[in-house]
Amino acid sequence: MKRRELFTGLGQTSASACKPEIRRMANLIPNAQFRTQDNKDVRLYDDMIKGKQVMVMMMYATCETFCPVATKRMVELHHQALAHRMGKDLFIVNVSLKPEEDDPAALKAYAEAHGALLPGWTFLTGSQYDVDTLRYKFFSHDHIGIDTNIDMHAGSMKIINDPIGRWFHADTFASTRTLLEHIQWSDPPKSLAERLKDNRRLQQQIEREVDLYGYRKIA
Amino acid sequence: MSELKVGGKKRGAKNTREDGGAQSLKVDRRTVVKGGVIAGAAAVIATKNTAAFAQESYPEDPPAPEGPVLCDPRPANSPPTTPFVDNLPIAAPATPTFLNPFPTRVANIGAGEAARDAHQAWQHFPPQVFYECVAAPSLHTFHSDLSPTYCWTFNGTYPAKTFLGYYGVPQLVRFRNNLPVDHATAGINEITVHLHNGHTPSESDGFAGDFFSTGLWKDNHYPNVYAGVDQYGGIGDPREAMRTFWFHDHRAEFTAPNNYLGLNGMFLLYDQKDPGHELASPGSLRLPNYFGLTDIPLQLHAILFCPTANGRNEAYNTGAVPGQVDKWIVNGKIQPKFTVRRRKYRFRILNTGMVKEWNLSLIGSDGQQKPMTVVAVDANFVEQPFDISNRNLLIPVASRYDVIIDFSQFAAGTSVYLREAQAQFVGVATPDPAPGLKIENVAMRFDVIEREPWFPPDTPPIANHLIDMPPAIVPDDYFEWHFTFDGSPRRFRINGEVFDHNRIDHAVLKGSSEEWVIANDVIAGNWTHPVHIHFEEGRIMSRSHTNRDASGNILSVDNVPLLPEELGRRDIYRVPGQDRLVIRLRFRDFVGRYLIHCHNMNHEDNFMMVRWDIVETVEELVQKRREIDERRMMAGLPPQYGNGKKNGRLV
Repeated sequence: MKRRELFTGLGQTSASACKPEIRRMANLIPNAQFRTQDNKDVRLYDDMIKGKQVMVMMMYATCETFCPVATKRMVELHHQALAHRMGKDLFIVNVSLKPEEDDPAALKAYAEAHGALLPGWTFLTGSQYDVDTLRYKFFSHDHIGIDTNIDMHAGSMKIINDPIGRWFHADTFASTRTLLEHIQWSDPPKSLAERLKDNRRLQQQIEREVDLYGYRKIA
Repeated sequence: MSELKVGGKKRGAKNTREDGGAQSLKVDRRTVVKGGVIAGAAAVIATKNTAAFAQESYPEDPPAPEGPVLCDPRPANSPPTTPFVDNLPIAAPATPTFLNPFPTRVANIGAGEAARDAHQAWQHFPPQVFYECVAAPSLHTFHSDLSPTYCWTFNGTYPAKTFLGYYGVPQLVRFRNNLPVDHATAGINEITVHLHNGHTPSESDGFAGDFFSTGLWKDNHYPNVYAGVDQYGGIGDPREAMRTFWFHDHRAEFTAPNNYLGLNGMFLLYDQKDPGHELASPGSLRLPNYFGLTDIPLQLHAILFCPTANGRNEAYNTGAVPGQVDKWIVNGKIQPKFTVRRRKYRFRILNTGMVKEWNLSLIGSDGQQKPMTVVAVDANFVEQPFDISNRNLLIPVASRYDVIIDFSQFAAGTSVYLREAQAQFVGVATPDPAPGLKIENVAMRFDVIEREPWFPPDTPPIANHLIDMPPAIVPDDYFEWHFTFDGSPRRFRINGEVFDHNRIDHAVLKGSSEEWVIANDVIAGNWTHPVHIHFEEGRIMSRSHTNRDASGNILSVDNVPLLPEELGRRDIYRVPGQDRLVIRLRFRDFVGRYLIHCHNMNHEDNFMMVRWDIVETVEELVQKRREIDERRMMAGLPPQYGNGKKNGRLV
């Protein structure tokens, strides 16, 4: 029933009077059929995104510029700080920009070469049409000259939190601290008590920094 | 029962609830009222706020409307609206209040204040006037023909109420976040409020990474001093005065949607030169200056509305993209009308963005362009006022222009139109209001009438020389900012990097001055960036444009003459592709984290923003600059300092 809702006109019909319905992600992500590095057929939205917190990245196997760097960066981050969450409540989906070249075997080879065959990490290939739809709808810059350039999207990453209907940009070349903060920004909403606790922790961190480096010290 | 003396009138405090704490609150209340009187807001305090003083701790939260109905697919255009139905609303002055718990220098974490550094200017400029500003959802009707629209507002009004302050009267605004946890807007329920472009210590400056979530609050301390406190003592150098500010949410990645939803408002500062009244007084320029009567803020905005759903006309939720918005909005109304008397008026025009640049002109009922006199650009008075009479006034995002229109040149009973060069969607067949003027281009209408006896008489002619500029800046150091669109993934970058709130890209020494180059390296005609630098006003020294052939070889570098509006001090620098601006700035009084970014809000949300720091000591400066270069070399980027260019002479 939920699936059907996705394909009917949404805004025009009067929605139920109770809670707002959040469907942004379903509108942005095509629910097309893709194939994983393990030769398994999946639906992009239903199987990979729906109800999850996912980092979506674009790459292609023969990419020599920024895809391997971005992949390496995420592997490092996985080992440093994310291993306890990956595959449980946090996932990575890499979508091939050149799906016609990249068959599942090629993707598996790429993943193996970069040590990215890790829990919760999926590489996808599909039809050119579906990949382009994803790019133009979700990774779009609203600029035709840029959006048609494949390298434009190589190595780019978005963090999706589907249950709260929100997505964030992230820069894979940022520091570990910044990247983790970006992932934390996209975490499901916390209770007020937890947020206050986080706030207290942040204040302690500020004060510690001032003590250590004097960087935030006041006049 | 205590009595409150306000604006010369005695007024019995009516609310019985204040009995208990009345005695202990008495002193503070009087201080607050005094500050308010100075700020010229006396009339409003007198009429409105005896009740607000008596409230226990916080004003009641406005009743939260249900979240917006998602608007999808994108409508081809907004619903039709009849022009000139609504009167121009003017955001009333914000009213001072009591804050409980009382503000503290160090963040009051236990009471729910967001983490921050301790207030730098607390001892020297303790706050005297206190405000509370609650960010919460509410409904606003943009036109009588439309249903209400779900907005995020400060204190429930769209646009937010205007802060009227006075130089030398430090104030403190408590921003509370009551935005919904569960919502379907494109915005995010985390805010950090930037006062654009106040001389504000870093912890109150609304740094993009300092946002706080629903349920928390944060005190922004505005010392309301001129730059140069350390140099000149007192409250600084009066020549550095800035007057027309605005405040807006600055949350990294979500500035555009949060502003589109309505989280912004205006903030005016007065001093002797511009005292908030028009009577003869020492040093006063005697410009039209009665807020709301003859001194009118005009906040320009653009929205795409959806057809009615659930009894509402929602704003299309990603309407920040240019070319999608199709209704021009002035002070929260579509094509409003405003009755003016035959005398001079001052309009403080602000472009609240997110992306659209405005090209304004004044058209008389004969279809001819009429003069507008520009007296201030980006909060700073210009040395010599100049007329806009044969070209459009180009207003980049976040820029403010104070213009004076003399309506005595028009006959009573006629109308004058504010024309925007880009056409909007009207949808109601309307004859041309003036020969050659299409209704789609009209942003608002002025209806001229004779001045009634009660209305303030006209002000004297505008002086030819408004201000003396601060002394010329001799730079201690030199730095270049290159705005590009490159790399892979292709991104908006500044000096090869995208925004990271934990990373420093330039360090400057407190008390020093620098010459900065702002260069837009994209192909000419591709992207124009309205660059904004926090904290300090700069003076443009020169502008040049590089002409290239198709393969990118330089053909010539032309010096571009500066427009009259670029001769004074600015905080928004409009830089088209292949343009290169040389500006000079001074960094005084406060230290901390500040930003330079493109104020096209879509670009800044896509990380076209970097952090630079003002530091206290030379050791810290050297250390930070070394760290910056080491990190850049690790990332395969050229170092910024000591690389043969002039950069970083200090080190």
